[in-house]
Amino acid sequence: MSEMWINMGPQHPMTHGLWNLRVRIEGELILDVDPEVGYLHRGIEKISEDRHYNEVITLMDRCCYVAGLAWEHLYILSAEQALHIAPPERAEYLRTMCDEFQRIASHQMWYAAFVQDIGLMSPFLYAMRDRDLVLDLLQDYTGARMTYEYMRVGGVRNDLPPGFTDRARKVLDWLTDRFREYDQLCLGSAIFHKRCDGLGILKANDAVAHGVTGPMLRSAGLKRDLRKDRPYSAYDRLEFDVALADGADVTARYLVRMEEMRQSVRILRQVLDWLDRHPGPAIAERLPRWLGAPYAPIGDEGYLLKRSFPKGVGLSSVEEPHGEAQAYVVNEGGEHPYRVKFRSPVFANVSAARQYLVGYHVADIPPIMGSVDVCVGEVDR
Amino acid sequence: MASLTLYSVSYDLAQALLGAIGSILPTGPRALITSSDVVTGLAVLVFGALLLAASMLNTILLIWWERKLLGRFMDRRGAMHVGYAGLLQNFADGLKLFRKNTFPPREADGLGFYFGPTAYMVSSLAIFGILPISSGWNSGALPLSLLLALTIFSFAPLFIFVSAWSSNNKYSLMGGLRSAAQMIAYEVPLLLAVVAVIIVAGSFDLTTIVYDQKNYWFWGPLFLALVVFVAAMLAEMERIPFDLPEAEAELVEGWNTEYGGMLFAFFMLADYLRALVGSILVVLLFLGGWTLPSWIPASLSAFPLAGIFWFMLKTYVVFGLFVWVRASLPRIRTDQLLRVGWNRMIPLALLSVFLAALLVTVRCVPVLGCVPSAGV
Repeated sequence: MSEMWINMGPQHPMTHGLWNLRVRIEGELILDVDPEVGYLHRGIEKISEDRHYNEVITLMDRCCYVAGLAWEHLYILSAEQALHIAPPERAEYLRTMCDEFQRIASHQMWYAAFVQDIGLMSPFLYAMRDRDLVLDLLQDYTGARMTYEYMRVGGVRNDLPPGFTDRARKVLDWLTDRFREYDQLCLGSAIFHKRCDGLGILKANDAVAHGVTGPMLRSAGLKRDLRKDRPYSAYDRLEFDVALADGADVTARYLVRMEEMRQSVRILRQVLDWLDRHPGPAIAERLPRWLGAPYAPIGDEGYLLKRSFPKGVGLSSVEEPHGEAQAYVVNEGGEHPYRVKFRSPVFANVSAARQYLVGYHVADIPPIMGSVDVCVGEVDR
Repeated sequence: MASLTLYSVSYDLAQALLGAIGSILPTGPRALITSSDVVTGLAVLVFGALLLAASMLNTILLIWWERKLLGRFMDRRGAMHVGYAGLLQNFADGLKLFRKNTFPPREADGLGFYFGPTAYMVSSLAIFGILPISSGWNSGALPLSLLLALTIFSFAPLFIFVSAWSSNNKYSLMGGLRSAAQMIAYEVPLLLAVVAVIIVAGSFDLTTIVYDQKNYWFWGPLFLALVVFVAAMLAEMERIPFDLPEAEAELVEGWNTEYGGMLFAFFMLADYLRALVGSILVVLLFLGGWTLPSWIPASLSAFPLAGIFWFMLKTYVVFGLFVWVRASLPRIRTDQLLRVGWNRMIPLALLSVFLAALLVTVRCVPVLGCVPSAGV
């Protein structure tokens, strides 16, 4: 067969979102690839400039449909920095808990999509079933399953409902067993290794050159995890290991993500214990009036107060389930942020597609792109 | 075995029908339409219609069986709302597809686009006229029925390729190419595994092969052939782990990407018809067809249509194993599939042929007993 370009996307089962992977193939061999993004652009950064600080949080949930809380956390960190507000310690732990539950939910979503891409049907439903338990927990204390709107400048919206930590521990026990089952279903299968070993190799040098972060970078053997290297919230007070693998291939990324889920369980157990022992306020007590609940009517008073806050700039980075996300918030003194800018890890990970796709087969695209864990919402924002 | 067979039923039906029509006609035409030639002709037509209805019904039941089983494997319930335990769900789905329009792509080749699925469906259905479901099922003895069934079975890549190419879609074309390569590669081990059975049974006639398993079923002595046959059959049926011609992750739906409505239903039905044929062949060649082993009390096969009952039970269990495989394995890649086909399956199939020849030569094996004398 002669050379031809095929469009895998924007509507294609491989993409898991709205983007287009143009592939030049000869027979089954990939000669070139060209990722095209931008089909889901909503102008979130621009919209943020017209919103109150707490109203931007709703947009953060829309950045990534599987990791909304991580993006809320990211934005909140830089917003607080720009506004010179510090959250109470309990809020920091609650946010850490959010992050880790979200990481498990996100990685389970990744696992489900990934095994479906290589044709494994049952584990897909097992992972979705178990993910539901995590979502139930999130619903328990945030009230929502996907768009949480839980964090606030200066803390979190509400504290935990009674009995939550016990329920959470039960789920964690169950999940620990299930992770073993996931591994058996994948690593125990010879066909899985045939499909994934040595595939989509992205060496550490190339990964760094392309700005690739997160599990993809750690699967290349580079020990970089913002939770350890530049700890935020409560991570400096918690014990955990950075998940590492050195294959730099699809299997290595699988191993890293599975290990991250186990580490998340470990972190969550510590966080839950801490939360049990340390009651306290979940949101800072002295906040400017106009920062109050986002849906409270903003009267004249709120507008009168708008010049009373010092200017500032916030820059934060968070180890999101997909990689390192960054937020930059400029506070020029108004009740709206003057400028908001985000760095999406998946954007960089997808941009490096030529590095890890060329030279493999067409049938390798789903496992390789599956191992990248694409979330288009945050790529296009 | 009971004298009630599909052909006798259809012959009686035809005779009764023509007799009823003839009774209101004058003597001349009555003699014409109740003549034995006309009755036989109509009986064959009725036979075909009954067979068509039975095979379609079984295919749809097979889809239901797969959905239920898959559901259980995946910790859910499968179809459950339409009809009892979702039994009518597939009829509803079929009706929906029947009402839908088919849109050929603008640049598609009209003839090939319609010919492909139709021929695929027809050729898959034709096999059912050959397979003996129980004793006396077939209208006539077919000394080469196994060969004929497998010949029609192997038409499929051609029709798939025609429909893929005429769709004028890159995904369809790639799916069609993969499908042709895969089916042709796995045709060889499939036939070699069948050769092992033929050597032991000494016949190409499926009925004879079944009766040759009176003493013991062939799956024991010909276990290697069974393994090769089942694996190759999985590839021929394009099911996971060999479903890459329609690997939905990269090729959308492979060679049937551009098909909708009834033409898609043709593909879907023909796929399951072929799956049914595959399961039936496993039962006929290795699991003793409609017979039961001698240690099972004869009272269990004394009721009417017992042969068909046991045969269908075995078929559905075999298909259940295929579903089990589907629920637990990932799909493998084209090049790996072809490498396994040529480098592993064919040597194994040849080995199984050799073992079969050895078995026939030695006649009696200590544990397994004696094979029937060849060429009964």
